[in-house]
Amino acid sequence: MTLLLSGASSSLSNANHRIVRLFGTDAWVVAAGSTGPFTTASVIPAGLANEVAVEPGVARAEPVVLFRSTIHEKSVRDVNVVGYRPGGIMAPRVVRGRALRGRGETLADSALGLRVGERVVANGHRLRVVGLVSRVRFNFGVPTLLMPVEDAQALAFAGQPLATAFITEGVPRTVPDGLHLVTDQQAISDLARVAKSGNQSIAFINALLWIVAAGIIGSMVYLSALERVRDFAVLKATGASSRALLVGLALQAVVLSFAGAIAAAVLAQPLAASFPFPVEIPSGAYLRLLVIAVVVGTLASVAGLRRAVGVDPALAFSGA
Amino acid sequence: MSTAGGLRIRDLRIEYSSGGYVVRPIDALDLDVESGQLVLLLGASGCGKTTLLSALAAILKPAGGSIRFDDVEVSQLSGDALTQYRRHRVGIVFQAFNLVPSLTALENVAAPMWAGGTSGREARRRSAELLERVGLSDRVKHRPGDLSGGQQQRVAIARALAYEPPLLLADEPTAHLDYVQVDGVLRLLREVASPGRVVVVATHDERMIPLADRVVELSPRVDRESRPPERRELDPGDVLFAQGEPGDLVYTVDDGEIELVRQLSDGGEEFVAGVKAGGYFGELAPLFGLRRSATARARVHTVVTGYTPHDFRQLVGVDRLAALISGS
Repeated sequence: MTLLLSGASSSLSNANHRIVRLFGTDAWVVAAGSTGPFTTASVIPAGLANEVAVEPGVARAEPVVLFRSTIHEKSVRDVNVVGYRPGGIMAPRVVRGRALRGRGETLADSALGLRVGERVVANGHRLRVVGLVSRVRFNFGVPTLLMPVEDAQALAFAGQPLATAFITEGVPRTVPDGLHLVTDQQAISDLARVAKSGNQSIAFINALLWIVAAGIIGSMVYLSALERVRDFAVLKATGASSRALLVGLALQAVVLSFAGAIAAAVLAQPLAASFPFPVEIPSGAYLRLLVIAVVVGTLASVAGLRRAVGVDPALAFSGA
Repeated sequence: MSTAGGLRIRDLRIEYSSGGYVVRPIDALDLDVESGQLVLLLGASGCGKTTLLSALAAILKPAGGSIRFDDVEVSQLSGDALTQYRRHRVGIVFQAFNLVPSLTALENVAAPMWAGGTSGREARRRSAELLERVGLSDRVKHRPGDLSGGQQQRVAIARALAYEPPLLLADEPTAHLDYVQVDGVLRLLREVASPGRVVVVATHDERMIPLADRVVELSPRVDRESRPPERRELDPGDVLFAQGEPGDLVYTVDDGEIELVRQLSDGGEEFVAGVKAGGYFGELAPLFGLRRSATARARVHTVVTGYTPHDFRQLVGVDRLAALISGS
């Protein structure tokens, strides 16, 4: 479970990086006062892109539209909508089907379960799925519909020529009044800020799970020590040193923790597929799990170790 | 096997606290046992047999006196020397076998060796050898639950011999065995009491007496014979008998007053009863072969007469005695 939660947390962070890189932009231009293209719904006239395009350092500037919407399938599903100019700066990698060519077409994230050729209704507009993209999700794993910027404007602004941001080829040295320059890193930080409370919740639950795991391992070792008090007494009476008993019991806790961690690592991948949230377990998490499990297991067994070491060997002489 | 120089016990006193009172099951014990001898510690339950074994095994520290085995002053051992003594010089056969149920016979024998740092292979080889010696070579893979009481006891003896200790202690080795199983265990104990080794067996089973080279009675003897009454005069504060001593006489108070007090663990005393002229006290210890459970001390100038249990029974009558004991 801790692996899955680590994977969920990692997925949030990876998704932020992926979505920002998806646009292929060198810089973002947003309305002044807006903290980033993904989190603030301030609109700007799309025509201002032409003014940005002539700023020094800029080869091209294009309007993009980003907003949250829903599609109506068997049930209502939340989607992120990204409107962009096909054949322009942004060129998402299509894993099935083809790229956008004109209006009325959409690329859907594979997590939506749509098929190429299928029609989908978003905000009352019918769009035809011409291709699928993979892992284009943000806002806590919400999948994305990509479409021509004009269709996005039709969905969000009743067709008015507005944009929520401009993407550029080249980095403008200045931007027109009323606009504000945002780097990729700032855009990622802006997205991370939104996910901060979610990540903190995951970290908190993770910590609770480790405490529960420590409790379980500690109880098992303690009960095992209680159950074998007579055995420990016999071993001490026959010359086993307290250190030898300590090492033996600590080793049991370590093996128990290690075996649990290995089982968790083996089960994590199949379980991740059925987890209701995108899970991307980083390879380092497996090693971290093993180390933490061994440390937690050893610490948790301290009470049991103390009990075993404190056994009076005279107990071995007590009758059956 | 090390060369045993024998066991020398001098003025040994062992006491512990029980329910807030001082219990002294062993007091002023002297004993010499030569190498190759099998000694029987005989006595009823609670007379201190197991307590003495614990002290010989350096598990219980005596309150006074000395236990010397070969060149080792056992009562002074501590730390690593204590561990080494328990591991290499003493083997213990416990009353309830005390085998680990989840381990096989071979693993049970090997366990002390593993804990002592012997390599796994060597411990297994030695354990197989010991099990063969006690006649269990066909039971090495059996767990205690699959073995009879006698077989379990033989595994326990094999375990006790793991390091060929020069001192072998056995606590009630026949307590959980039927007569068929007893035979094999007794033969084995006699066999291991060979030159270079001292075997000390604690038991209340008098059938073992012919097996022993020496018998040490730890229960006070009950005097069943008649002998003339003993008259004693005591000044105030004189102690007639002390708590923990063996008791052979029942006393009646002819004149004065006796106070019975019990020694507490914290060093204090607890008043139990006062016995005035015409009363009697101290009947349980001589009647049942117990040690005195309290100290009797004269409060004023006092005259008492002591009777053997036999004579006291005659004096008060059998029916009256039963009523006195039950307190009715």
